[in-house]
Amino acid sequence: MDVLSQLIGGFAVALQPMNLFWALIGCALGTAVGVLPGIGPALTIALLMPVTAQVAPASAFIMFAGILYGALYGGSTTSILLNTPGESGAVMTALEGNRMARNGRGAAALATAAIGSFVAGTIGTLALTFLAPAIAELAFVFGPEDYFALMVLSFTSVAVVMGRSMVRGFTALFFGLALGTIGIDTQTGQTRMVFGTLELLDGVSFTVVLVSLFAIGEALYVASRSGTVPAAINPLSGGSWMTRQDWARSWKPWLRGSVIGFPIGALPAGGTEIPTFLSYALERRLSKHPKEFGHGAIEGVAGPEAANNAAAAGILVPLLTLGLPSTATAAVLLAAFQNYGLQPGPMLFATNPDLLWGLIASLYIGNLILLVLNLPLVGIWVRLLLIPRHYIYGGIVVFALVGVWGLSTSWMDLLLMCGLGLIGYVARVYDFPIAPVLIGLILGPQAEIQLRRALAVSQGDWGVLVSTPIATTLLSIAFLVLVVPPILARLRARPKAEPAISAG
Amino acid sequence: MSVNPGRQDARKPRPWWLGLGVLAMGALWLNGARSIASTTNYIGVGPAAIILAVGIGLTVLGVILIAQAMRGELVPAPEGEEDTPPSRSAFLLALAGVSIPLLTIRWLGFPFTAMLAFTLVTHAFGSRRTGLDLMVGAVLGSVAWFGFSRLGISLGPFLPLIG
Amino acid sequence: MLRRLMTTGALALVLSTGMAAAEPAKVMIPANPCGGWDGAGRHTMAAFAQSKVFTDGASFTNKGGAAGTIGLAEFVRTSKGDDNALLVTGVIMVGGVITNQTPVSLKDTTPLLRLTNEYNAIAVPANSPIKTPQDFIAAMKADPGALSVGGGSAGGADHVMLALLAKHAGAPVAKINFVSFSGGEILAALGGGKIKAAISGASEFRQFAETGRIRIIAVSGPTRVDGLNAPTLKESGIPVEIGNWRGFVGAPGMSEAAKKTWLERFAKLHQTPVWKETLKTQGWEDAYLPGDQFAAFLKAEDASWSSALKEVGILK
Repeated sequence: MDVLSQLIGGFAVALQPMNLFWALIGCALGTAVGVLPGIGPALTIALLMPVTAQVAPASAFIMFAGILYGALYGGSTTSILLNTPGESGAVMTALEGNRMARNGRGAAALATAAIGSFVAGTIGTLALTFLAPAIAELAFVFGPEDYFALMVLSFTSVAVVMGRSMVRGFTALFFGLALGTIGIDTQTGQTRMVFGTLELLDGVSFTVVLVSLFAIGEALYVASRSGTVPAAINPLSGGSWMTRQDWARSWKPWLRGSVIGFPIGALPAGGTEIPTFLSYALERRLSKHPKEFGHGAIEGVAGPEAANNAAAAGILVPLLTLGLPSTATAAVLLAAFQNYGLQPGPMLFATNPDLLWGLIASLYIGNLILLVLNLPLVGIWVRLLLIPRHYIYGGIVVFALVGVWGLSTSWMDLLLMCGLGLIGYVARVYDFPIAPVLIGLILGPQAEIQLRRALAVSQGDWGVLVSTPIATTLLSIAFLVLVVPPILARLRARPKAEPAISAG
Repeated sequence: MSVNPGRQDARKPRPWWLGLGVLAMGALWLNGARSIASTTNYIGVGPAAIILAVGIGLTVLGVILIAQAMRGELVPAPEGEEDTPPSRSAFLLALAGVSIPLLTIRWLGFPFTAMLAFTLVTHAFGSRRTGLDLMVGAVLGSVAWFGFSRLGISLGPFLPLIG
Repeated sequence: MLRRLMTTGALALVLSTGMAAAEPAKVMIPANPCGGWDGAGRHTMAAFAQSKVFTDGASFTNKGGAAGTIGLAEFVRTSKGDDNALLVTGVIMVGGVITNQTPVSLKDTTPLLRLTNEYNAIAVPANSPIKTPQDFIAAMKADPGALSVGGGSAGGADHVMLALLAKHAGAPVAKINFVSFSGGEILAALGGGKIKAAISGASEFRQFAETGRIRIIAVSGPTRVDGLNAPTLKESGIPVEIGNWRGFVGAPGMSEAAKKTWLERFAKLHQTPVWKETLKTQGWEDAYLPGDQFAAFLKAEDASWSSALKEVGILK
C-alpha cells in the first residue's frame, strides 16, 4: 500500500534522534502551555517562529505538532484539579473533572483524560493518515446553512449543562450571548454595544472571559470560603487510580468522542470546542448513570477530552491537504510553512513527502510521548495540590494576569477581568453554571454569522436553511434532542403513577 | 453590580439585586438595538436583530430572577464539603489583589504589579509572611516579564515611572 | 529584620532584571502576534539585522485592535519625539481611522515609506460561467444581488474594491451583495460553489487555482502577478487598483535628521538580496515608495477610501 510505505518513510524521519528530541521538547512545552491560562498553542508557536529559523523544517514541525497535542493534554490538568481551564477546549472537562477531583478521584479523572487523549489522538492521526483527502472534501460540501444547523444542534444539545435550574442556565447562556454581540458586526461593519470605547471594537476576547470567569472567580470564591481557616491537608490530594469500572465506563466515550471530534475538527468552521460540547451532551444522554452527572461522572471527562484531541488531528486535515487554516493554531502553522517557502496542499505531498509524512509520523510518536509523560505525572500533578493553597491561588492570579495583559497590554482587558471575575464569583455563590456563558460566547456569534451568510447568498430566502440534506438532517436531530427526552420522561413516569417532573 | 459576600445571618437571603443586574443589562441591550441602524440589505436579518433578541431574553430572565428572589427561591449554592462561613475580609483582600493592576500597571509596570497582586492574594488565603510572598511574587512577575520580552512580546515597560 | 531584608531583596531582583536593554529601534505593531502587520514588522527588522544595514536590534510592542487604530493612538501618545520609534502601518489602518473616526490619525505621525503590497484578486468557482473581468462587470450590472461576492470584513479592502467595481459597472453600490468571511472559510465556500465570486489576496487564491478548484479572473495591481494566469483589471479596461500595502511611519515630531537616517537605512535595505529573498518567501510585492511621495500617497488613499466607504454605507 502506498500510504503505508510512505508512512514508514515518515517514521524513518521522525525517529531520527534529533527529531525525537524536538518532539519531546514540543510535548513538554505544549503541556506547560496548556496548563497556563490564556496562553495557547497558537501564541506559543507564533512566539517560537523566529527561534526555528535555524532549525530544519521537519524538526520544527515535529516540535509544533508536539505543542499542538501537548496543550490539549495540559489543558485538562488545571481544569480537573483547580477548576481553571487553561484552554477553551477544556471547559467541558472542568464540569465533571473538578467534581471528581473534589470527591478525591482526581487521579482517575486525570488518567481517563490522558488515556482518552491518547486513544483519540491516535485514532485521529490514523484517520488523518488514511482518510485525509476524502475528509477534506467535506470542507467544500458544508455551506453556511449547514454550519448554522450544526450550531443549532449544539445549542439544543447543551441544554443539559444548564445546571440546577433552567432560569439560571439560560441567564448564563444569554450573558454569554450578550458578550458575544459586543464589537464590530463583520457583515455590515457597524459597531455594536461598544459604549464608545475603541478597545471593545474587536469584541471581548474569549481568553479574557475564560480566565476571568473561571480562574479569577474561583480564586475569589475559594478565598472567601476558606481563607481564614489554616490550610488543612488538601482533600483533593492522593486519590485512587482508575478502577475496573472506570475503564468500563471510559472506553466507549473515548471512541464516541473521537468519532465526533475528528470530522468536526476537519471542517473549516468547526474548531475544537463544538465537539466537546456535543460529546458531553451525548455522554450525558447515553450514560447509565445520569444521576452522577454534575457530581463527577467519569464519562463527562473521557468524552470531551477525547473529542478535543481528535478535533486537533482534524484541523490538520484541511491544513495539510488543502492549505486551508481553520483555527488560529492552524493559521500560525500555515504561516510557519510559508516562512520556509512552503505552501501546504496536495503539491506539497508530491514535492516534500519526507517533511509531511515525517510530521504525520511524529504525531503518532508525540501522542505516545505525551502518554508516557503524562501518566506518571498524574501522581505528581495531584501532589502539586499539596503546595500551600495561598501559593497556588497567588500563582493562578499572576498567570491570569500574564495571559490577560500579555495579549494586547490593554487596560480595558484588565478592567474586564475584574468585572467578569466578580461576576464569576457571584455565579459561584448563587449556583449559576459558568459553562453556558462560554458556550453562548462561542456559538452565538458563529450561529449569527452563518445564518446571515446563508441568507445573504440566498438573498433573504429562509428556505435556504433546509435546502441541503446535511442541514435538514442536523436540524431534525436538534428538534428530536429537544422534544424526545421530555416525552420519554413522561411516558416512563406515567405507569408508576408518579407526577412527571421535567428537568429543571 | 454590588456584591454582598459574607452574608452570615440565617435568614433567607433575597438577592433581588442579581435579577436587577440582569434586567439592567437587558435594558442596555434593548436600548443598543434601537440605536443600531438596521441595514438588512439582502440578508433580512440585520445587525440589530440578535441584540434585540438578547435584550428581550435578558429582560425576561431578569424579571423572573427578581420574582424568584422575592419568593426566597434564589438561595446560595449549598455548601457541601467545606463548612466554613464565608469571610468578608478574605474576599476583599483577594478582590484587591485582582483589581490592583488597574491602578498600578501603568505606573509600576508588570513585575511590580504582579508582586503586589500575588502578595495580596496570598494574604487573602491567610499567609502572613509578607517578605517571602513579595519575593516570590517578584520572581514570578519578573520571570514572566523577562521570558516574554525575550520571545519578542512586550508586557509593557519594566518600570514605567522611571521611563 | 529578615522580613525587611527579603523585601529589599525582592525589589533589587525586580530592578536588576530590567537593566539589560540596549538602544534598539522601538517598533510598535498595531496587531496581535502572528498575522500580516506582525510579519511585516518582524520580518523587516530581521532583514535589517541579517543584511547588516541596521544592527542595533529592535524591540516590539504588539497592541492590536480596531483595525490598528488602538496601536496608532498608543504610538502617538507614548512616543512623541522619539527618533527610534517606528509604527507599522498599512491600508487597513487608513480605513480604520476613517470608519472609527478616531481622534488621532496618521497625520499625527511622521510618514516614512510604503514598503510592500499584496494585491487582491477576483476568483470564481472552476465551473462558473464568469470567465473574464468583463463577464464579472456584466453580471454585476445585470443583477448585483444575485452575484454574491465573498471577502474579508465589511469596510475592508475587499469590500471597497467591490464597491469601486460596482461604481465602474454603473451598478448601484448600495445593492452589492458582499458576504464577509474570515480565515480559510472563504476558500472552502468558493471552491464548493456556495458563493458566486470572491475577492481576497492573490496569494491566498494561488494554491486553489493551481489545483483547478477555482479560477482567478483578475488581479488588482498595476502589473500581472508572476505565475498567475490572470489579467490586471487595468488592462481589461477597468480603472480599479487596490492593494493591501504596508509600510512604516515614525513618531510624531521625529527630527528631520532621524527621518533622513531611517529613509537612508530603508533605501539601503531595499537594495539588498536579503530583502529580495524576504519579499519572495513572504509573497509580498515590492512597493517601495519613500518620503514625500509616500506622504502624498497617504493623502490620496485617505480621500479615495473616505468616498468609497461612504458609498457602501459604512460611513454615515
